[in-house]
Amino acid sequence: MSDQHQNHQHHILSNSMAFRIFGALIVLTVVTVGVAQIDLGALNFTVAMLVASVKASLVCMFFMGLKYDHKENTVIFSTSVIFMAIFMILTFGDLLTRGDVYVKDLSKIIPDGAVAASNQSKYEKPWVSNDELVSAGKTLYTSACVTCHGAEGQGNGPAAAGLNPKPRNFTAGEGWKNGRKPSQIFVTLTKGLNAMPAFGTLSGDDRWALVHYVRTLGPHAGEVDGAEDLAKAGVGAGGAGAAEKSIPVGVAIDLLSEPAGKPSEN
Amino acid sequence: MAHSTGSVTHLERHHAHHFKTAHEEFEACKQGMWIFLVTEVLFFAGMFMAYAVLRVLYPDMMKAAHQLLDWKKGALNTVILITSSLTMALAVSAAQRGEKQKIIRYLWMTLICAGGFMVVKYFEYAHKIHEHILPGALYQYKELTMAKVPLFLSVYFVMTGIHGLHVLIGMGVIYWLIRRASRNEFGPSYFTPVEITGLYWHFVDLVWIYLFPLLYLVS
Repeated sequence: MSDQHQNHQHHILSNSMAFRIFGALIVLTVVTVGVAQIDLGALNFTVAMLVASVKASLVCMFFMGLKYDHKENTVIFSTSVIFMAIFMILTFGDLLTRGDVYVKDLSKIIPDGAVAASNQSKYEKPWVSNDELVSAGKTLYTSACVTCHGAEGQGNGPAAAGLNPKPRNFTAGEGWKNGRKPSQIFVTLTKGLNAMPAFGTLSGDDRWALVHYVRTLGPHAGEVDGAEDLAKAGVGAGGAGAAEKSIPVGVAIDLLSEPAGKPSEN
Repeated sequence: MAHSTGSVTHLERHHAHHFKTAHEEFEACKQGMWIFLVTEVLFFAGMFMAYAVLRVLYPDMMKAAHQLLDWKKGALNTVILITSSLTMALAVSAAQRGEKQKIIRYLWMTLICAGGFMVVKYFEYAHKIHEHILPGALYQYKELTMAKVPLFLSVYFVMTGIHGLHVLIGMGVIYWLIRRASRNEFGPSYFTPVEITGLYWHFVDLVWIYLFPLLYLVS
């Protein structure tokens, strides 16, 4: 067994070397603290990170023995640094290029309760059909709905084959799960149903437009919404139904950092 | 076949049967620790990223908030951890030479340094808790009312807390090594546990080398 060890001699870090590395680390710590007292602007950060990296390299090479070890272990450990760099690049690539998204979305989300301009309905009563809504709905339908519901609205679009239950056949007057009143279809669109995702991120008018268009595909429907139906659908007088609130990162950070409920002035 | 290269002989230990040689076992164990340390870097990477994002979004807040920390205590802890890295390295060398008394002595010194680190940390935390310098809504410190400062404290407590947890775990492992060393288990032909605990311990030091300037010396 000892023979094996003769063939693979372990490197033993000498005590004097260990003390020299220790001395270097202490000196570099003093440098770190010293440099922090001088204002070098943006350079401060760079210097601090450079010094820290020199210290880290000394620890890795000598105390952790990478200098004397197989290259393999250095390669293994380096991958973590590489992946950390990828992590940083992607995160900052995202963060630094979405500055104006925050600004745009802020007006939509805050103040609470107030539906921002883009969600305000153009119509006095968007739940009552009109030609403009129907034609807007047709355009939206062609882009967002045909793959499942089909061009004729028979629930036989190309993607319908794989779905069970089948997508709604808009040409049938019966069997609508949530009902066929405009407000009821509006709710289905907003919340989704079975395989259909929620389309709550569409503006209220867009959803109403789709509602009125799909109602033209089937037999004429006499049902009209009462005030109660509209209330159920979350539509207030004059409102089109707010687009769902999505919160961008910056706003979430703002909300998280509020000391108990007071809006910040920052 | 016991070794007597150092001042004492140490117990014979046969490597696990799935390894051809003791050397192969040693290399495999060490590589396993390096791979674990890779996952540790990535684990801390998320927290460093949170820090970096805050720093980019709110540079003024970060600059103001770091003054809530006492850089002298941070610097003291840096020196303590570097010293513990030295004694750990000396313990590994002593194990390689089979010098039992020195292994034990250096491991104790490492353990004491680690304890010292935690004591300083305790005083830092106690002061912050007492002054309500805490994350989120728990922040009630009247001297600094700048917006978003509690976010800095979230990062501070999570990062130093997880790092402190690593120190505590390391202390447990080092104590276990002391026990084994006093049973004469380590020497030139078998010092794997000392070596890989050393790697772990130096990594804990490594994290602090970055944490100290980032948290305590923002400028």
